[in-house]
Amino acid sequence: MTSILKKFPLNRKQWALMKVLISVSVIIIVILGGLFLDEGRIVTNLTNRNSPPSIDNLFGTDWLGRDMFTRTVMGLTLSIGVGLIGAIGSAFIALILGMAAATMGRTADRIISWLIDLFLSVPHLVTLILIAFTLGGGFKGIVIGLTLTHWPTLARLIRAEVMQIRSADFVQVSQRMGKPRWWIAVHHILPHIVPQFLIGFMLLFPHVILHEAAVTFIGLGLSPHEPAIGIILSESMKYLSSGMWWLAFFPGLCLLMIVRMFDSIGDNLRLLTDPNGNRD
Amino acid sequence: MRKKLVGVIVLIAVSALMLVGCNSSKPVPSEVGNSVSSQEKKDELVLAFDSEPETGFDPTTGWGRYGSPLFQSTLLKRDDKLNIVNDLATSYEVSQDGKVWTVKLREDVKFSDGQPLTAADVVFTYETATNNGSVVDLNSMSKVEALDDYTVRFTLKEPQSTFVNTIIGTGIIPQHAYGKDYAENPIGSGPYQLVQWDKGQQVIIKANPEYYDKQSYFKKITFLFLNEDASFAAAQAGTVDLAYIPAAFSKQKVPGMRLESIQTVDNRGIAFPFVKSGSVTKDGLPIGNDVTADPAIRHAINIAVDRQALVDGILEGQGTKAYTSVDGLPWWNPETVIADGDIDGAKKVLENAGWKDTDGDGIVEKGSLKAEFTLYYLANDAIRQSLAITVADMMKPLGINIKIEGGSWDILSQKMHANPVLLGWGSHDPHEIYNIYSTETAGIEYYNTGFYSNKTVDGYFEQALQARTEAEANEFWKKAQWDGVTGLSAKGDAAWAWLVNINHLYFVKDELDIGDQRIHVHGHGWPATDNIVEWKWAE
Repeated sequence: MTSILKKFPLNRKQWALMKVLISVSVIIIVILGGLFLDEGRIVTNLTNRNSPPSIDNLFGTDWLGRDMFTRTVMGLTLSIGVGLIGAIGSAFIALILGMAAATMGRTADRIISWLIDLFLSVPHLVTLILIAFTLGGGFKGIVIGLTLTHWPTLARLIRAEVMQIRSADFVQVSQRMGKPRWWIAVHHILPHIVPQFLIGFMLLFPHVILHEAAVTFIGLGLSPHEPAIGIILSESMKYLSSGMWWLAFFPGLCLLMIVRMFDSIGDNLRLLTDPNGNRD
Repeated sequence: MRKKLVGVIVLIAVSALMLVGCNSSKPVPSEVGNSVSSQEKKDELVLAFDSEPETGFDPTTGWGRYGSPLFQSTLLKRDDKLNIVNDLATSYEVSQDGKVWTVKLREDVKFSDGQPLTAADVVFTYETATNNGSVVDLNSMSKVEALDDYTVRFTLKEPQSTFVNTIIGTGIIPQHAYGKDYAENPIGSGPYQLVQWDKGQQVIIKANPEYYDKQSYFKKITFLFLNEDASFAAAQAGTVDLAYIPAAFSKQKVPGMRLESIQTVDNRGIAFPFVKSGSVTKDGLPIGNDVTADPAIRHAINIAVDRQALVDGILEGQGTKAYTSVDGLPWWNPETVIADGDIDGAKKVLENAGWKDTDGDGIVEKGSLKAEFTLYYLANDAIRQSLAITVADMMKPLGINIKIEGGSWDILSQKMHANPVLLGWGSHDPHEIYNIYSTETAGIEYYNTGFYSNKTVDGYFEQALQARTEAEANEFWKKAQWDGVTGLSAKGDAAWAWLVNINHLYFVKDELDIGDQRIHVHGHGWPATDNIVEWKWAE
């Protein structure tokens, strides 16, 4: 292995690309696994309850004899799915508001900046819990809650980027030539903020997944028999004092790993697209 | 390097030995300490329960429905065999038509503040309870009056043999000392007096020296309100003499304590919508479900469900199989027991009724109707959730597809008329059967959620309520369950699929004698206090 590495030394960018590819493939495997895993594995089996990790049940079984490995993978898929919808929604709101703030004139900018400050002044999780609770919990409540709470930081970033590009020469020229605002926004500004937007979106993702787990953990989210990772963790708390550590350990570890992978994808993408990082 | 390694190993071995030494020597002093302290506090007791009577200790608003009312006493009570015996009363009589109940009182009873208890206090109690409009159901009573200082007469609107349970469940409050803060400062004629109530933490009570009956062995009792984990931890630390625990902890051992597993009618079952869909309640909630309206489906589920597996698997063996809501009580009909866990038998039932899997998706159909429904359960109750999941899985091989959905009580009360729900009951009052199964109670609160109705059963209810003694009434309660032809139980209409009775579990100090516990009712921990006066340290 080391000899191969020595023969083909990877530079920083190639390393970053490797990491992104590995992370992406792991996540894809998890998602596919969650979609195609046999539902029969999580059927209750009262004769095989509370068994510690073994070859048959990699992560052990729970108090109803359900395979924890299958439940964890399904939970991760569900969490990634919810995270995906939430992150896409949030990023979309951020994009529109950020662009609008920077291109629609002073009043719009003031209103949107005020909105961003308002949302940033209250911790995400509090607003998220409030929104999810008002909507009566469930899948809908969580997704809408996540979408409505995670956009401000990205919106602020996009606004700053757009402001910068707006003062560039080619935009000024285009403006003088009488192009309408929306045309400039779509043809000149949007292509320039795509990289920042993508990275922002990727970095939003782990955040959203963690918050989804947090909300389901406190019981505001999905119905408690669904295999969401937050629910699995919250259930396992009850069994910790009777020594069933595997109920919390493996799902928690997997959640951590998935979140770290999304994080590393985001970070490495930034490295890959950063024009100042081109030196090596 | 090697020397260092040896040194480290020796160090680890020595420290391990020291740790072991600590462990083995520790129990000795603590055991000594325990027995000394139990000798010192011979007449004191500390109990850990997980539910606090948040509304206080006012019998007119429901205190004392579960377990002993502690501070008050009642006209009649049940003994350990569940027979009705006198408490404050010396005798009671029911008129020929069953409408007039006359109760004679003891003349030597004083409240804990020294004032005598008279018929006026009884009348005051029942009138207050009626006006409070609380869970104490006095709708059937038209008036209550004092004939003289020690005779009370109740007049009912309709004959109702189960009125005796209202008398058993209602503690008598003093007219002279009843005010707005009574619930927090109860005064009564019961075996105990309240010393202090720290809301959210504990209640301390002491023996009432004025009590007319057998004095409590323990002079001071503390009830701690701890959640499940804390209760278990307190038991392990040896700071409590009795702790109420959930089934998940039943496999654990606590030194110096034994596990008391007490049979109950604290039951769980699935209430099926009995009628076809289409109608709505006054509030516009849908009623009925086409699938569960078919008796074959209800019978098949009752036959197919493996109750013993549920008891062993979900309750850790700490429970009993349930066939009705009153298993083991004097008005239970033992003929209602059916053979279960029989998938093949259940399949036949479905087949004979025309349910077949025609499209090969593993779910049986009858015409265009698929055998599937959503089972609702209370989301924050782990046992109900486990029961729902397991029953749904048990029905898969049968071809009945049960989807499950957790919800709050608000959601359940909207869905429960049109969808099966997992509910629990359990009482020492046979009137509960009437509440769950009578045509009259259909759609009222959580009673008869499925709009069950059977004229024959209603007839038996009528006769049971009109009976003049409990023994006579019991015969009709039994017939309502199963009379050989029809009935409300799984042999008859199978309006419910009762699953399990959940044993109540307590860790009890080895030396503490908690007497003969009667079959417990629904209610966390408190039913154990029914005979608390008889508890003592074993010699």
